[in-house]
Amino acid sequence: MGDTLSYFLMAWLDPSLLMLTAIGTLAGIYVGAIPGLSVTMATSILISFTFSWDVNDALALIVGIYTGGVYGGSRTAIMLNIPGAPSSVATSFDGYPLAQQGEAGRAIGLSTVMSVIGGLLGTLVLASVAPFLADMALEFAPRDYFLIAALGLLLVGSLAAESLSRGIFAAAMGAVIGLVGLDPVTADPRFTLGSMQLMGGIHYVVVMIGMFGVAEAFFQLHQLNAKPVRQKVDKIIPSLRLVLKYLPLSIRTSLIGVIVGALPGTGGDIASLFAYDHAKRSVKNPSKPFGQGAYEGLVAPETANNAAVGGAYVPMLTLGMPGDAVTAIIIGALIIHGLNPGPMLMIQTPHIFWFTVGNLVLANIFLLIFGLTGIKIFAKVVELPKAILIPLILVLCVVGSYSLNSSMTQVYWMLGFGLLGYFMKIFRFQMGPVILGVILGPLMDQTYRQAMSSVGDDSGAFLLSLVTNPLSLVLTIAVVLLLLSNTPLKRVFRRRGQA
Amino acid sequence: MSNHPPLKAGERAFNALLLLLSVGVLYEAYQIAGFDLPNSAGAFPILLGVIMIGSMIAILWGQRHHPKPDTRGVLDEARQFIHEHFPLTIVVFSAMAIAYLLLLRPLGFIIATALFLFVSQVYLRRGRFLAALIITAVATGVIYALFKLLFQVYLP
Repeated sequence: MGDTLSYFLMAWLDPSLLMLTAIGTLAGIYVGAIPGLSVTMATSILISFTFSWDVNDALALIVGIYTGGVYGGSRTAIMLNIPGAPSSVATSFDGYPLAQQGEAGRAIGLSTVMSVIGGLLGTLVLASVAPFLADMALEFAPRDYFLIAALGLLLVGSLAAESLSRGIFAAAMGAVIGLVGLDPVTADPRFTLGSMQLMGGIHYVVVMIGMFGVAEAFFQLHQLNAKPVRQKVDKIIPSLRLVLKYLPLSIRTSLIGVIVGALPGTGGDIASLFAYDHAKRSVKNPSKPFGQGAYEGLVAPETANNAAVGGAYVPMLTLGMPGDAVTAIIIGALIIHGLNPGPMLMIQTPHIFWFTVGNLVLANIFLLIFGLTGIKIFAKVVELPKAILIPLILVLCVVGSYSLNSSMTQVYWMLGFGLLGYFMKIFRFQMGPVILGVILGPLMDQTYRQAMSSVGDDSGAFLLSLVTNPLSLVLTIAVVLLLLSNTPLKRVFRRRGQA
Repeated sequence: MSNHPPLKAGERAFNALLLLLSVGVLYEAYQIAGFDLPNSAGAFPILLGVIMIGSMIAILWGQRHHPKPDTRGVLDEARQFIHEHFPLTIVVFSAMAIAYLLLLRPLGFIIATALFLFVSQVYLRRGRFLAALIITAVATGVIYALFKLLFQVYLP
């Protein structure tokens, strides 16, 4: 208990960690808020700079950016009707109408407090559920990890992309990129096309910076001259009465957020839309009709997307599975720092878990402080023209990819992935499944081969093991149902049911 | 009248390229270890190649009822694709970005970055020389101080 508390308070008592969490949270709010910048973009660029840092310093900064960034998007969603991040799309449905009615200040204040409530509840669930899940995960067989990873890719594919086929294609392509290089078991070259440079593999950070940084920056060039509508912002601290009134709804939507966030592959964007839908269905008498400035329509997505942060850490720390694109990047950072995300993390390095929990709580406290202050400066910064922002993003992408191993080759790869990402965005392929595929591909390859070896390389026995073990059976059914629910078969069954 | 949204100019060509890429992935995967053992180094890559081909065929099959783009012939479609997705701003900015990468080594990070930031801002904002000059000086200084001195990373 004493150790747990000291790990929990590590970031609270160390001035440099405290400072890094504060800087990260403040920077995250701006990164999340400025249209054209995203948390995923910022963390993927930042991660390359923190390789040489102490792991606690790197994690403190990233936790701050993640927490602040998920919240930050709501501010521009309210003030400018431009969601700064995908997780704030639902916030703009009622946030912007509130701002148009002269309530921008109150909407920002309420969204700040609700984000903090959601963030703290998400962290509470992480702290209470993760240790038990990690214990359970020790009993998981390699085939279960394989199935969980497949489930995660299917989930992100079906929810994030226009169709499951597009999601699956993007995820499989990401997995292929993740496998480029020498096979770690047999040293066979895989997808190296005879190139020596590809023998060492493609660094996943290069893929991330290219697809999230460069592709996004070029895409933003299409909306170079979009003029946002400014809103007048006055008093922002909400009354206690207002907060208490929406507390029951915020607890419900926080739980939705944390559950959706904990599903491998889904994050705050999907959580906030689910929560908004829940509020619309469950609240009979909203303050105003939904879509016209209902406080309930603001509370639900804002609690859910921040609760999803804590949720996303659950599969990451207990199973080594990313909950969303940002946790996929954090997994990479942990591995680079010699840590082993998964059930063994709790046993080998329990301080990392409790340090992360303490850090998330601290970041939420900073979120409350920064969220309710500095609104006038904020209003100026978010109106930074894209013509200034886009060249700066490109310079940061170049610095980030070069710093990986001081090689211009990485920069050219980054540009190549940026071009690929740009084309994929044009034709409605999502980047999220690609990145998750890059991270999960090698893991799926490894667990599949372990599972196959454990049954003596017998394909029939492998398939049988998927349905004879209770946990594997549940996961197999989930995978099959998810696949079937996205195929024409579903429509056939529905038509028969109606006949 | 179809309820499906029309395909974008160049979409069929891009999907065909992705299908070709998927076939290439399957071929490369087979080259790793053939159909040797179910847990060989090539087994999972072969599965990925099959999945890529299968999902791409599903995408193409799902688009069979979508109206074709409103263009006359392949050349017209290519022209519309370039017009929509590669307007002059993107082409010029891309050229500046490539020039920036090529000049990084000969000119060094500070000069190349300052030049790129200044020229690209002047182009994208249609002038505003003084503002571009000030922003370039501040941004280059901050980036250098932050990454070279604080983060201690190697700069190009």
